[in-house]
This record gives sequence, C-alpha cells and structure tokens, in this order.
Amino acid sequence: MLTIDALSAGYSAVPVLKGVSIRVQAGQFVAIVGPNGAGKTTLFKSISGIVTPSAGSITFEGADLLALPPSRRPHLGIAHVPEGRQVFPSLSVMENLEMGAVTEAGRRDWRANIERIFEWLPVLAERRDQLAGTLSGGQQQMLAIGRGLASSPKLLMLDEPSMGLSPAIADFIFERLIDIRKQSGLTILLVEQRVAEALESADHGYVLEAGRVVLEGNNQSLRADDRVRQAYLGM
Amino acid sequence: MGRRRDARLGLKQGNAVTALVEGIFQALVAGLLIGAIYGIMCVGLGLIFGVMRVINFAQGDFMMLGMYAAFYCFTAFGVGAVFGTTWGPFVSILAAGPILALVGYVVHRLLISRVSGTRTASLEGEGHHAQLVLTLGIALVLQNGGLMAFGSVLASIRTPLSSSAWELGPFLDMSVFVNKARGIDALMAVAIMAGLALLISRSRLGKQLRAAADNSVAATYMGIDVDRAHRIAFALGTGITAIAGGLLATNYPFHPFVGVDYVIVMYAGVVLGGMGSIVGAFWGGMTIGLVQQMSTLILPTQLQNAAIFVVFLLIVFFRPQGFFGRNVERT
Ligand SMILES: Nc1ncnc2c1ncn2[C@@H]1O[C@H](COP(=O)(O)OP(=O)(O)OP(=O)(O)O)[C@@H](O)[C@H]1O
Ligand SMILES: [Mg+2]
Repeated sequence: MLTIDALSAGYSAVPVLKGVSIRVQAGQFVAIVGPNGAGKTTLFKSISGIVTPSAGSITFEGADLLALPPSRRPHLGIAHVPEGRQVFPSLSVMENLEMGAVTEAGRRDWRANIERIFEWLPVLAERRDQLAGTLSGGQQQMLAIGRGLASSPKLLMLDEPSMGLSPAIADFIFERLIDIRKQSGLTILLVEQRVAEALESADHGYVLEAGRVVLEGNNQSLRADDRVRQAYLGM
Repeated sequence: MGRRRDARLGLKQGNAVTALVEGIFQALVAGLLIGAIYGIMCVGLGLIFGVMRVINFAQGDFMMLGMYAAFYCFTAFGVGAVFGTTWGPFVSILAAGPILALVGYVVHRLLISRVSGTRTASLEGEGHHAQLVLTLGIALVLQNGGLMAFGSVLASIRTPLSSSAWELGPFLDMSVFVNKARGIDALMAVAIMAGLALLISRSRLGKQLRAAADNSVAATYMGIDVDRAHRIAFALGTGITAIAGGLLATNYPFHPFVGVDYVIVMYAGVVLGGMGSIVGAFWGGMTIGLVQQMSTLILPTQLQNAAIFVVFLLIVFFRPQGFFGRNVERT
C-alpha cells in the first residue's frame, strides 16, 4: 500500500533521513520506534509533503506521492494524526471533525463516520460544541484521532499519540486504537516511544536510529531481538 | 421682578441642556454611521491578517482603487445611466467589491503568494521582511499609478441623498438628523458584515479559512489547499475594504493618496479588535468611528485623529489583547 524507498530528507542542509525504506501492506499495523531525534516525525512530514525529500521515492497504492502537492495527498486516503495533536484551537470539536472530512471520501461517509467516531470516543460527542483549544491534552489527542478517522482514510498515520499524556490516558488511547483497528480493519502506521506497547500490538516493526532503519522484523522476531530487548524494553 | 428673571434664566439653561444633549446624540449617531463603514474597512484588513498573518500595507490603496472603481462604474460604465443618480452610486459601490476582489486575487497570485503561505512556512522572520517590503512597494505603485491614471483632482460619488436627511424624533423636544446617504451606507456596511460573519462561521469555506488561520500545517494534513485559502482571504479582504471606500466616497471627496488617511483607522481598528479576530475588527472600527465623532464635541476637528490615537493607546495599554483577543493559545 505504502512503499518508501531509499528516502533521504532534512531541513535546509541538515540531513535527517539517510536512505530509509519502509513498506506498509494493506491491513497491516506497522510500528516505527526509535530514540528522540531519529527522524520519525521527519519521515511522516515527508509522506505528507511538509518536508521535501532530497532523494528516494514514496508511492501510495501505485501513485507517486512526491509528484502530488501536499494538500492533495490526504484525498488519496492518507490521514496524518500529527505529533503534538495540532487540533484547530479556535474551532469547535465538531468543526475540527468536519475539517477531517474535507476529503471526498470523508464527505461521502460523513454520517456513518461521525456515528462510529462518537461511539469509539464518546467524549467528543459530549464536548462537540466546545472549542478544541479548551480541551485537555488527552481529549485533544482523541479529537486529533477522530479528525483523522473522519476523512475515511485507507491508511492512518499516528505520530506519538501518547506524547505528554499521563500513563493512564495513554493506555486508554492505546486500547481505543486497538479496538478501532479490530473493528475497522484500517491500515495503521504508528510512531511510538512506548516501544513495548507498540511492538506488542503491531504486525511489523522498524527501529529507526539517526536517520537509518537499523532493524526491522515481525512482531515476534523484534521482541526476541537482544538489541531491542536491551535498548527499548529494558530487559 | 426678581422672580421673573429667575424663570427666564431657567428657561435659557433648559435650552442649553437640550442643545447639549442633542449634540451628544447627534455625535453618537454620526459615530455609529461612520463606525459601521470603518468597521468593514477594518474587517478587510483583519481578514487578511487573521488568515494569512500578513500585514498588508497596501490595504488603504486598494481601498482607494475601490473608490475609483465605484466612481467609474457610476460615471463612465453606465451604472449611473441604468440605475439613476439616486441608487446608481450604491450599485456602483457594490460592484467595486467583486472588481477589487478580482484585483486582490490576481495580486496575490502574482506577488503576495511568493512571499507568504506555505512557501515561506519554514522561513519565519525572513518571510515577514519580504512581505513588508512587497506590500509597501505595492502601496507606492498604486498611489503613484493612481496619480497618473486618475489625476490629482478631488473626485466624489455624490447622490442626491448625500444632501438630505431623515429626522429622528422629536423626543422631549430633541431631534437627531440622519443624512440619508450615510444612513444607507451604514445599513449596507452592517448587511455586508452580517453576511461575512455568517460565511466565516457557518460555511464550509469559512471553516476552512479559520482552520488554515489556526494551523496551516494541520490544515494541509486535512487536505485543505492553504495557498488557495489565502488567495480567497486576500480577495475577500480587498473587496470588502473596497466597498467601505466606496461608501465613504458618498460623503467624502477622495484622491489617489486618500489611502494614507485611513490606514491609521484600519490598523487601530484591527489591533483594538484583537489581531486576528474578524468580528473584533468590526467592533474596533466601530469604536474608532465613535471616538472620532464624539471627540468633535470637545476637540477641534483637526485633533480628531489625535483623539483616536489616545484612545487607541489607552485601550492597548489596559487590554493589549484587544477586545476580542483570544486567550486560547495558537499552536
Ligand atoms: N523544523 C526543523 N528545522 C530544523 N531541524 C529540525 C526541524 N524539525 C526537526 N529537526 C531536527 O531533525 C532531527 C529529527 O527530528 P524529528 O522530529 O524527525 O525526530 P523524531 O524522531 O520525531 O524525534 P521525537 O521522538 O523527539 O519526536 C532532530 O535532530 C531535529 O532537531
Ligand atoms: Mg517526533
């Protein structure tokens, strides 16, 4: 579904990604883990077009993403739930969800989507008229996820949904994600610092360090790997 | 004897009080009328700043173009002939809106978009310097180009309604006069504001503009074309300020440098309203209109602008976020 090949990218003369290759197949749950500054967010921004890669290719369902302007990419079915939530603070919860549904598919499926989103994340229904900027961090994260789902995506990309949240709320959001995936069969690409949880539920994982994929594998092989156990799982 | 004199004195004092109160009401009404026009003038600038974070120094000069667009629609392009001298000016003024919106659209596409929007999202400070230089340059070109094209003779868009008035009252021996042209100007300004407020708060386009204003990167993640949103905001803002200019021109003569006279009002109004709030910009403009007209009660006309500045400084001192400043942090 998503194929990233030998991707290099960075910020004005600072290279961050150095030949990263990642593959996400339809229906898969893929996790990317790695230390701070490894380039995980830069990878996501390259997929969404906020960062322009210097080399390599990204294809989504056969389409060359790099040839498309950033604002067209979500319309192919890619939802990006960004690091730090980035909800629209002066828009209400409902209006934020409507912005998720700017895509053609999101508009078409609006009614069905909103019903499911409210079922999965009931707090959004309770606070539908509240300004997003006045929500708590956890609620904003749920809104960011709901907003992503409202676009009827084929691929949901989540960048550290647990960032800055208390462990209890992070756990809750993680469980919701697992439920959402089970019920919708959505393809998910997740970046997480909570390595244990991420690798436990993912089908496939990549370890990104200093802009390179240093390790990849399926669920069992990664969790059995000594380096992962030492560096990330504290075993 | 003494009694009669007292009574006469009382009557005289009564007249003076009536005249004073009448004067206050008259100034209040004048302030509300001009304030409505200032309101939408500020809204045009506020919309552009709110959505694009670009301070457009050429806004006053786009307003000047709007005045001339209305003027030529009325006198040369047949609107006057079709709609008559009474209503022709108002139709021409409305027509100046879309004409200048188109001009704004093109200017954004060719020039402003090069130094703003997603192209400069990563530049931070440098982007702002380029915007400043560019919009100041556009202002100079429009002023001097206007001088070459239109000449320095004062023009105006008069209607017979400019010299007749409605009388409100009398209440308690007092009556207030409303110049008919100004009354219609204000009604049109309020109607345009109401329409714009609805558009921004309810329509899909309005919500996308607000989303792009809140967080342009996140808006791009949603599939919103932020550069297009900016182009639309710039066109809308230019068109609305142009209409404000046309409305002013029914009572005030104008010339190619008239924009400079009003930029102070525009910036003060936008800051008062809380940078970035569109409804706030309207109330900011309204406040300026009221202060300006009320100040005529105690100050000579030449000091009107000084009064605007003083009130502006006071409000900014005591409420720097403006009346409608958000407490919600932008991300
Ligand atoms: N806008 C930017 N301009 C310049 N350098 C940047 C910018 N954003 C990130 N960087 C740098 O790029 C490198 C990779 O950052 P990135 O945000 O992709 O890391 P990350 O893996 O997402 O880290 P984290 O776990 O902290 O989110 C870091 O060294 C960072 O300092
Ligand atoms: Mg990151």
